[in-house]
Amino acid sequence: MSVLAHGVGSRTDLPIPIGFALYGAGAAILASFAVLLVFWRSPRLGGPGSGRPLPMGLQRLVDGAPLRQCLQAVALLLAAVVVAVALWGPQDTDRNLAPWVLYVTFWVGLVPLSLLLGPVARVANPLRLLHRGLQVLAPGAPGSGRLPALGLWPAAGSLLVFVWLELVYPGRSEPATVAVFLLGYAVVHVGLALWFGEDWFAHGDGFEAYSTLIARLSPWGRRDDGRLELRNPLANALATPSQPGLAALVVVLLGSTAFDGLSRTVFWQTGPGSADDTLSGTLGLLAMIAVVAALYVLGTRFSGRMAGQDPAIQPARYAATVIPIALGYTVAHYFSLLALDGQTTWILASNPFGADGLDLFGTYGNRVDLTAVGSDAIALVQVGAIILGHVVGVTLAHERALLSARRARASDQLPLVIVMVCFTLGGLGLLFGF
Amino acid sequence: MPVRPSRLPAALAGLGLAAVLTGCAGTDEAASVGPTTSSSSSAPAPAGTSSAAPSTPAAAGQRIEVTVTGGQVSGDTGRVPVPAGEHVTLVVTSDAPDELHVHGYDLGADLAPGTPATVEFDATIPGVFEVELHEAGTLLLSLQVG
Repeated sequence: MSVLAHGVGSRTDLPIPIGFALYGAGAAILASFAVLLVFWRSPRLGGPGSGRPLPMGLQRLVDGAPLRQCLQAVALLLAAVVVAVALWGPQDTDRNLAPWVLYVTFWVGLVPLSLLLGPVARVANPLRLLHRGLQVLAPGAPGSGRLPALGLWPAAGSLLVFVWLELVYPGRSEPATVAVFLLGYAVVHVGLALWFGEDWFAHGDGFEAYSTLIARLSPWGRRDDGRLELRNPLANALATPSQPGLAALVVVLLGSTAFDGLSRTVFWQTGPGSADDTLSGTLGLLAMIAVVAALYVLGTRFSGRMAGQDPAIQPARYAATVIPIALGYTVAHYFSLLALDGQTTWILASNPFGADGLDLFGTYGNRVDLTAVGSDAIALVQVGAIILGHVVGVTLAHERALLSARRARASDQLPLVIVMVCFTLGGLGLLFGF
Repeated sequence: MPVRPSRLPAALAGLGLAAVLTGCAGTDEAASVGPTTSSSSSAPAPAGTSSAAPSTPAAAGQRIEVTVTGGQVSGDTGRVPVPAGEHVTLVVTSDAPDELHVHGYDLGADLAPGTPATVEFDATIPGVFEVELHEAGTLLLSLQVG
């Protein structure tokens, strides 16, 4: 139905002004070398345990079953309402709540929530509640022994399916598509959880893994002994446990956002993507993910080789340092969608089934104010997010290199830093719309 | 040993630079339009208000004309830049009955075969907006306001 938008949306951002793009690029390059040459020469960020533990009472409340089951029940109820609206509400996308909830409020809103509060999608995952209710069917969880080896690869696959739906599938904004996706997602993941055990959700539920990944840049961490603590978000990110597939998860996120940017450019719309069909979109999405993956693997391998480290551990070792860059891309591409088109959710929530005269919250008559955030402000947020993500990413990579080898030379980090600069210049270029 | 690794970074840096440079060449008009958002553009103007001065159609503003024949779009298609605040006259002629829809501004018009339909509005909302045929889903053009 529309080639420009994410899953839904009435507008897309203007190309950023050329000045913003050039200053941003310059800042990214300068900051990179400043980090390498001027920053600390021995590890400075603490590891797990460097923060301040939360009061025991608060931890008991947050970790306790009552709160979690309550949140999961509320999430399950909301999800059921959304599916019902998708099936029986107005069939016009502009009047149906479900696509806006899925593609804007939930998918984009998960980012600020996880950044502020930690892994909310894990704590409030409604599928965990469903699974617990159905566990009597398969009490043994016969496949649970294989989960550690799978790592986060299933989550990367799960997220790839969602971003394909969001960015490529032509019928993505139809309410019926949303209903089928949500129901299918629940059936598949609860089924797999019955086989692999409840830990499946941490390994395979794309949304939960996404929220947990972003929460790595939140101030909420957990010590090795399970104690919750408030810690420096940078230390939190570096304490990300190394799992198989962590790098793949980050690469899928970065690549899909890059494809989102690419698909809005005149170059794509008049060139490779002019057919605007499933095939060109799928190939474009996979190509962008492949480019990001290739750059990442090259950068980490060369950095590792120069430092004389085992090449096998390299791509995984630096995966956490790319999280801020992926987050910067995400904010740059989705901020305006949440702030502007996200208003639609709150308008339609007043009358989800389109009944005559119903106006639950008094918002049904409102119109989306597409001027609520000016185009200059949007451009500033976009460039700011990309640059901040870049600086944090380079800083984390620097610290990671020092942690790996006490006398790490700055030049050893150069390949990875240059790859990060490529990501950032590429991200700015896509926002500029070449 | 340092020879091999150092060549790759240089190549990668060159690639990034090339990407930025081609970017400059590609979208000149987008850059020159720039952030000229006028501070007075606060509320979206409904379609009706713009018809206050209908007798001088070509006097001010931008006229965009599109023709649809057998599903093929011709005329001012693609990305059409419009300065913020400009008065826009959009004229669409289709050989099949359909409904015109301007996203974001949320304006529409019924299209009768062979009869040009006109939508007039002030481009007060910055951003990129699609103009499409509602039934067929055909993208006519993208309005780039800003």
